[in-house]
Amino acid sequence: MGYFTDGLQAMRVTLTNLLRPVTTVEFPKVIRERAERYRSSFALLHDEQGDELCIGCLQCERICPSQVIAIKFAGKRESPITGKKRGYADDFILDMSACIFCELCVQVCPTDAIVMTRAPEVPSYTREDLVLTMAKLYANEKSKPRAWGDATRLMAMQEPPKAPKPPPAAPTASAPSGEGTPSAGEGTPG
Amino acid sequence: MSGFVHGLGYGAVIVTVLMTVTAFSLWFERKMAARMQSRLGPTMVGPAGILQPIADVLKLLQKEDIVPLKADAVLFNLAPPVAVVCAIGVAAAVPFSPKVVAADLDVGVLYVLAIGAVTVLPVFSAGWASNNKLALLGGMRAVAQSVSYEVPLVLAALVPVILSGSMRIGAIVQFQSDHHWFVLWPFFLGIPAFVIFVLAMLAEANRIPFDIPEAESELVAGVTTEYTGMKFALFYMAEYVHTLVASALAAALFLGGWDGGPFPPGLHWMVLKTFLLFAGLYWIRWTLLRFRSDQLMRLCWWYLVPSSIALVAAAGVWVVFVG
Amino acid sequence: MRTVQVTRRVDPHLNIDRYDPEAELMLLHFGPQHPSTHGVFRMDLTLDGELVVKAVPHVGFLHRAVEKLCESLAYVQITPIVDKNDYVAPMTNEQALNMAFEKLLNLEVPRRARWMRSLFAELQRIASHLLWLGTFALDLGGALGGGSTVFIYCFRERELVLDLFEEVTGARFHYNTHTIGGNRHDLPAGWSAKVHAALNVIDSRLGEYERMTLHNKIFVVRTQGVGVLDAELALELGITGPILRACGVDHDLRRDAPFHAYDEVPVKPVIATGGDCLARAQVRLGEIRESIRLVRAMVDNVPSGAINSGKPIKVPVQTKIPPGQAYVAIETPRGELGTYVISDGSQFPYRLKIRPPSLHALSALPYILPGATVSDAVAILGSLDPIMGEVDR
Repeated sequence: MGYFTDGLQAMRVTLTNLLRPVTTVEFPKVIRERAERYRSSFALLHDEQGDELCIGCLQCERICPSQVIAIKFAGKRESPITGKKRGYADDFILDMSACIFCELCVQVCPTDAIVMTRAPEVPSYTREDLVLTMAKLYANEKSKPRAWGDATRLMAMQEPPKAPKPPPAAPTASAPSGEGTPSAGEGTPG
Repeated sequence: MSGFVHGLGYGAVIVTVLMTVTAFSLWFERKMAARMQSRLGPTMVGPAGILQPIADVLKLLQKEDIVPLKADAVLFNLAPPVAVVCAIGVAAAVPFSPKVVAADLDVGVLYVLAIGAVTVLPVFSAGWASNNKLALLGGMRAVAQSVSYEVPLVLAALVPVILSGSMRIGAIVQFQSDHHWFVLWPFFLGIPAFVIFVLAMLAEANRIPFDIPEAESELVAGVTTEYTGMKFALFYMAEYVHTLVASALAAALFLGGWDGGPFPPGLHWMVLKTFLLFAGLYWIRWTLLRFRSDQLMRLCWWYLVPSSIALVAAAGVWVVFVG
Repeated sequence: MRTVQVTRRVDPHLNIDRYDPEAELMLLHFGPQHPSTHGVFRMDLTLDGELVVKAVPHVGFLHRAVEKLCESLAYVQITPIVDKNDYVAPMTNEQALNMAFEKLLNLEVPRRARWMRSLFAELQRIASHLLWLGTFALDLGGALGGGSTVFIYCFRERELVLDLFEEVTGARFHYNTHTIGGNRHDLPAGWSAKVHAALNVIDSRLGEYERMTLHNKIFVVRTQGVGVLDAELALELGITGPILRACGVDHDLRRDAPFHAYDEVPVKPVIATGGDCLARAQVRLGEIRESIRLVRAMVDNVPSGAINSGKPIKVPVQTKIPPGQAYVAIETPRGELGTYVISDGSQFPYRLKIRPPSLHALSALPYILPGATVSDAVAILGSLDPIMGEVDR
């Protein structure tokens, strides 16, 4: 008899869920919004003057645990915008089919050149499309929504506390302006 | 001769309608299961996904037909069609309205139960002929389960026979139409018999909570492990048809068939009752977990069989002293 | 009060040829391709009809040589690799790994990061146990039936937790948010309100799950008395976590050897007696409730401050750990996960060893499976909650 009453209780649960609104959406007609920090694809950026930010330092290639980045650095050359000599990456290939999306390359970039985008999905029909060439990476700058994180922001979030400045020698001087422990980013829970 | 033509004509109509309704019931089940699970179900093929069963059938049709090397080819290939035939054969004697019935046999109940019992054979031969240990385990469990649950099924089906005095299903429905539906009066006989009948029917059709023979999580696909393509589809179609027809049978035997109570009788009542019953069966399927083999057997022999024997005896007493 | 098995101790090395000279028993491979082996796992069951006589588990199908790979990766690169061991509770993997490195470096993690790590670990525990409940119901109830309904409900609630993690770290599954010295991502504004909303939903739905599983007679009858593991055997095999607590042994690393914020927010471990599948289910559902309570206590009181006391990763080869060795163990949803690292002063570890709790849980199978039926074997395997990623690494 216990089977019946318990069975009816369970059926009551399914009936309740039958009458609840549906949780899933009809993909791809409806695409859910991703979080601000969601990391999916990649983009290489230009700076405000239109110059490529990537200086070809190879840090992202070295830090990648899966070794998916391949950069060709052929020395310094003159920038077409500022005229100064600086490093450039001649070729930048990122193989997204092997990427583990760990965000380490974004973190180590000294010029905030490589960032992740928060495109909701990045499928493709061929394997070749998954290998992001330099052209595609620069195109993603405009075509895909940016994720929140770039190197400067991530570093600012993780900086350990600076040691407090020693108080000035003169006893009448004002107290040191709060350099003690800077609270990280927009961190305090709301 | 006219009886033969009548049977052939109505039989063809019933089979066609049955197959179409099976396809529709497939769609309905998927939608209902999905809504119970907070998701959408088929939406893309046709408006609200109503053509999904057709897409499924087309997909299964174009799959490769594999027969394992050491499998017993004759039994392996024969099992799915025989299963479907047995399931459809039950529909021959079920009256959907006073005129729409393929063959209103004088021994309708006996015929229906006998044909339903034959479905054990294709399931077991599929298990044996597959040359696969998992399928064999599934087949053995299926035999044990089906044969055991025949007993309460027959005994519970005897209750309306005793109460109405005839084995012709049309006569049983007529009796309910003239007097009361058996689940309403005598409800202390009708409701337990109905419940036992439904449970035994679930076990015959290998549906959750009694689907140990095709327990997907334990035996991959149980009896149907080695089947591909259309033969695989035929097994599942047999299960659906069996459920549908058995709900129609239960509606006829216990719920008054084409009788509408205070309203005029008609085919639509039968359809409505069948539909409600199989919706309820799907609801049970998507809610409950499954029993283990020995617990299933225990439920049958310790609970269902004694209760159904008692019910038959009580029905006899009722008819003699009251009805 | 510990559970003591009343039957004789089973011989897991039974010689089948001598036990069954006429070969009447059936050998069934619960092969690596099976809907309910929780990953790629193989069991060779010798069956007498439906009863199991001998069970031989085979692991190693998911071996990816992670430990060897880590010997050629800089310390800061190892975190995203180790994420993939216990792929159902990645936060705890990262936590154990980085705690080991911090111990070698004698680096103290700031208080905010300690609280955040514990907070993430408790949320991860909720998500992991929800996934376990769903897959266990699938094992018992079938993919085309009641089991799948419970599965979808559990995943629907799990998505809420994963959305919370997505807000913080940017990834739903493999986060790479722990680093040597602290965390990499800080909590965004308004996160704790979302946490409370999600927890309220999960809390209210737990009653529904129990009505469909724990309090359901079919579930009880399938799991009670099935796969009884006595406490002596569990301790002998090194089994920890919910399985040990279901045998009646009161052992929880969060309380006995508190790490991170657990000394400030005490944990009350959930114990059950019985040692069977039902007890393990009760322990895990109780742990979901306990974790909800812990998260509610912690999320509004996370201390402010910095989240990292080590140097944030700027140069790949920057972390050179002086020679030494360290072993750090934490309590994951599966038991005691340990990381043992030997460093030789270079930028790569000399040896990294991970002590997976699921491997020890699986080693109980040859002892508790004999005497159970095939259906019970599936239920027992599900209740041990093995994750092949960490078993094989």
